[in-house]
Amino acid sequence: METYYTGSEEETIALGERLASRLPRKGVVLLIGDLGAGKTTLAKGIVHGLGAAEPDEVSSPTFTLVHEYGHSPKVYHVDLYRIGRAGELESLGLDELLDREALVLVEWGERFPQVWPEDHIEIRLRRLPDERREIRIE
Amino acid sequence: MGIETSCDETAAAVVAEGQTILSSVVASQLGTHFPYGGVVPELASREHLRAIVPVVRLALERAGKRLEEMAAVAVTAGPGLVGSLLVGITYAKALCFARQLPLIAVNHLEGHIHAVVLEARRHGRPIDYPALALVVSGGHTHLFEYAEGPRYRMLGRTRDDAAGEAYDKVAKLLAFGYPGGPIIDRLAAYGDPTAVPFTLARMKGNPLDFSFSGLKTAVVRWVESRDLSAEIAARRALLARNPRPSVEEWLAVTSQPTLDLLASFQRTVIEELLRRVAAAAEAIGARAIILSGGVASNRGLREEAARRPLPCPVFFPSPELATDNAAMIAAAAWPKLQRGQTADFSLTAEAGLKLA
Repeated sequence: METYYTGSEEETIALGERLASRLPRKGVVLLIGDLGAGKTTLAKGIVHGLGAAEPDEVSSPTFTLVHEYGHSPKVYHVDLYRIGRAGELESLGLDELLDREALVLVEWGERFPQVWPEDHIEIRLRRLPDERREIRIE
Repeated sequence: MGIETSCDETAAAVVAEGQTILSSVVASQLGTHFPYGGVVPELASREHLRAIVPVVRLALERAGKRLEEMAAVAVTAGPGLVGSLLVGITYAKALCFARQLPLIAVNHLEGHIHAVVLEARRHGRPIDYPALALVVSGGHTHLFEYAEGPRYRMLGRTRDDAAGEAYDKVAKLLAFGYPGGPIIDRLAAYGDPTAVPFTLARMKGNPLDFSFSGLKTAVVRWVESRDLSAEIAARRALLARNPRPSVEEWLAVTSQPTLDLLASFQRTVIEELLRRVAAAAEAIGARAIILSGGVASNRGLREEAARRPLPCPVFFPSPELATDNAAMIAAAAWPKLQRGQTADFSLTAEAGLKLA
């Protein structure tokens, strides 16, 4: 387990960029944290670090549920904030996404633990009282 | 005929020559989604499937037309939820195949712009080019230049949350139910908009881009620093008793500081939107401003837009055409039909379809 601290949005993006090289080309990363913890911000850095898109192009997938970036490597940015039950995941085509040669970043995915492959990575984000972010990789 | 199924609504409409609405039917799915605090994709596609046939039939019946009298069938191809989009696209293809009609693919955002274009034309006051269009809803916050052709150029968009999404998330956090926009808009009138000094987003790079995640985080911080558990529990209980409380009922379970927060939040969102609208209109030498999408129904936004010295006239859709509907899809398809821009049966749903 490693813990990082970032003091601004830019630093969180920069951390994501550095982490990107250590993440698998095919795999699942759960981004876990409350509203405003910095999940989408870290995703911007990871997607950019992989060369799949510019940070500004990575926006919240809450409404559309899945955003897709790049070709090789390919990144899916998934947001399950609006999903109520695990059964509803089926129509999202999540199984199919997980089979593809792609890195899948998932926000609000921890509520459905049975869905993820055993070797998935968890990144926990927390907003500290002084506005820094604590980011732990497990 | 227009068909729209990109998100919440199953909608069909018959529009004559891109300007006269003969019928516009919207089967809102809000009732289905309400308990979940958002759109649920599986429910969405299942509900679309259930509603599409009666909605199209009713649109024809109300227009007093038969399918074979249609010049074309237009359908939203994206952006939106793939499963939901597919219901509309597949049905539109079937109608076109059965009656040998041209099929036209329309971008949902282009539809929102044309909701306003249609009404302006109908009122005999067509929109002058170039126009600046802000499409603002739960899923979108985009600025476009709308020029003759029509041609579109994207000038700015949100880098994180859409404006309507920020409303929904703040409402969910404080237990005001879904959707968040209408209720926050109404309750904001009872609060002091200067009470909570939120800072405006400073954009590096394109100054016409938007960001609402900092504001969302600031609201979370404000909520965390107070003990609101009693009023939040009271609102949950109210929603459980009555899914559509009146303003008076909401006011009875909402403290003055929370009303002040809502008013300050709303003022900040409006400021973020209108500042960029003014700057973008200036930059392109706009001769008209179009504000469209669900958030364009926000009363606070409309009042502030009317009050501000903007460089050209501002056009809003009427409430029925602000939220998702199919009349706007048929209207957006009209110029395409005239240019022969039809789609073939390989047309497919594109979740992230771009307008420009």
